[in-house]
Amino acid sequence: MMKLAHRHTLQAWLFLAPALLLLAAFSFWPVGYGSVLAFTDYSLIRETRFVGLDNFRYIFNNEMFVSGLKNSLMFLLMVPFVQVGAITLAVLVNNRLPGIRLFRAAFYVPVVTTVSVVGIMWGFMFHEQGALNYVMMTLKLVNAPVGWLSNDSLALFAVMFVTLWRGLGWYMVMYLAALQSIPSDMQEAAMLDGASRWQRFWKITVPMLRPTIMLCSILSVLAALKAYQEVDVLTQGGPMNSTFTALYYAYDQGLKHLKLPRALAASFVVSLFCIAIALLCLRYLKPKHR
Amino acid sequence: MTIKRLLAVVACAGLLAPQAWAAEKIEFWTFSMKPKFTPYFNAVVARYEAQNPGVKIEWIDFPWDVIQTKLVTRIVAGTPPALVSLNVPWADEFARDGLLTPVDGLIAEARASYIPSALADLRFKGGTYGFPMYSNVAVIAFNTAIFKQAGLTRGPASLDEQLAFARQIAQRTGKAGIAPALSKIDGLFMQQGLAVITNNRAVFNSPQHVALVQKLADTYKVGGLLKESLFAEDNFPAVIDAYKGGRLGMLLAPPTAMQRIRGDAKDIYAITDVAPAPLGPTGIADGGWLVHFAIPKGVPARLLPSVGKFARFLTNDANQLAFARQASVFPTTVKAAADPFFLSTPQNAGAAEKAVAAGALSMNHSRTLYVAGIDDYDELRRSLVKAVEAGVTGKQNVQQALDQAVAIWNRKLATLPRH
Repeated sequence: MMKLAHRHTLQAWLFLAPALLLLAAFSFWPVGYGSVLAFTDYSLIRETRFVGLDNFRYIFNNEMFVSGLKNSLMFLLMVPFVQVGAITLAVLVNNRLPGIRLFRAAFYVPVVTTVSVVGIMWGFMFHEQGALNYVMMTLKLVNAPVGWLSNDSLALFAVMFVTLWRGLGWYMVMYLAALQSIPSDMQEAAMLDGASRWQRFWKITVPMLRPTIMLCSILSVLAALKAYQEVDVLTQGGPMNSTFTALYYAYDQGLKHLKLPRALAASFVVSLFCIAIALLCLRYLKPKHR
Repeated sequence: MTIKRLLAVVACAGLLAPQAWAAEKIEFWTFSMKPKFTPYFNAVVARYEAQNPGVKIEWIDFPWDVIQTKLVTRIVAGTPPALVSLNVPWADEFARDGLLTPVDGLIAEARASYIPSALADLRFKGGTYGFPMYSNVAVIAFNTAIFKQAGLTRGPASLDEQLAFARQIAQRTGKAGIAPALSKIDGLFMQQGLAVITNNRAVFNSPQHVALVQKLADTYKVGGLLKESLFAEDNFPAVIDAYKGGRLGMLLAPPTAMQRIRGDAKDIYAITDVAPAPLGPTGIADGGWLVHFAIPKGVPARLLPSVGKFARFLTNDANQLAFARQASVFPTTVKAAADPFFLSTPQNAGAAEKAVAAGALSMNHSRTLYVAGIDDYDELRRSLVKAVEAGVTGKQNVQQALDQAVAIWNRKLATLPRH
């Protein structure tokens, strides 16, 4: 009996081995090694020395990183909007209506479109001579073109909106899958008991979606804290550094200026935030089994 | 029989091998030249190899944004290319880090053939660090219809006039007059003879600096500056789009821009005239940007004479002239720069031809303007741009904004070693 259990364990490890090897080579090792290098003055052209917390002191005294971190935390504001929006969309497209597949596909298109294309498209939309201003001016909502990406008070929200727009379809699909896995007999029994649509939604759908809500919220929080691609394509951190995010700072320092230890320190800090907020999500959003 | 044949082959190979090993391989890198200039470089390589039997040239082109990383990794790995194309700020940084080899000994007899200002751009740490290849210089293209509507008849002759014209265009036509690249305000200060750093301290909050930024702010306020991407790292796409769309009166750009206008907006090209870009009080032309070939550290000493010979060939009069004509840039050798192609304007010349002639007039005044020798300079520059943006857009008093940026710079400069 014992021998059989060992054999099964061994088989499991053998099946896991290829994936674990790939993860070790391309995820665990870079993350571990990168974390160590965040405490050094690593440079390709000089001998590496251990510098303790110097890189962390530097970035926390650096206006661009600090404001970038604040902006990254600002991105968290859109997490509830993404989740509520995605659940609403999922509930809507879960209905058996004519042409509903087309709507599902339409909402999913932004997910499979590359950031560059999305950025260029929204760049045109947000342009002072772009479609958005044209519509708003035609409807007499504004008198002069709005500088969506050139006004430092608006640019961050414009970039956040694009990130939100891209994320909606992805989470919608996850919620849709979760909705379709809710046993229909529960809804039918509630209907027979006279529960209204609204009651069924709050008493059956939402509790059954709770594990998915938790997962999507964590993914959404992590995506928000890691925002940088949209920033790069739309604003490159401007105007007046107003759209610099913590991870964009890491990219800027590491890949544009080859200051790898600073970039790694910034990434390390972002990772700590990600872990802390993910743990909070797990703590407060975890379904309570009674 | 088979063994005999095999031995014969080995013997032949043995006899031929020393010749094969004797072939020198010279690898040179350019950035962002493919595919447009593939035929040009292939032809240059083929010519050189034909003239120099036993030398094998390998050309590799990288996108401009990865070439620095590739170069550092290859130098560290001990296998650098023999020659690499760089711009001046990159070369300065690499030279300071000891990653380039001075070329004074190799350029020797060819030194007189290059324009002195181009060689001056490549002088760091008391040595010359490259073979000049080509440079650029800005010209002013202007929309004659907008100028006519604004009551203007000629191109501006100074920065003050550019801004005054821009205000006049905005007031009379409602269109933007000009779109300076304000993310490069440090270069504009220097071109106007205003120092950015003196004795390791930032000095760009003097009354003269404030007056210049205030003039920009006044022009911005009346709509004279194109607002789109005004402070972006690269505002050129937005600026050329605005000019092609007839929304901008003046375009300060290299002559290549005229070809884009000719290709994309024939109606605007037809009403475009060109003037040389005004020289600042320093006598330096706007838009100077030298590209050259440098020799990385670690190239074997025995190979250096051959590398020098090939670098001189790559950048000689004939090759620079051929390249510059194709690329609408300016050669950096005295003889090529004096070619009639650059100096004479054909009858019925369009803006593209006029731009080449106007740029050639400024070429001897072309210098690459940047602040050298400061670690993390880009970060400092961003705080300056942020202050200028706050001042120009009226979010903050110009003097206060510049004072704050100076304080940030000086805190940083105090911690840096002096170069």
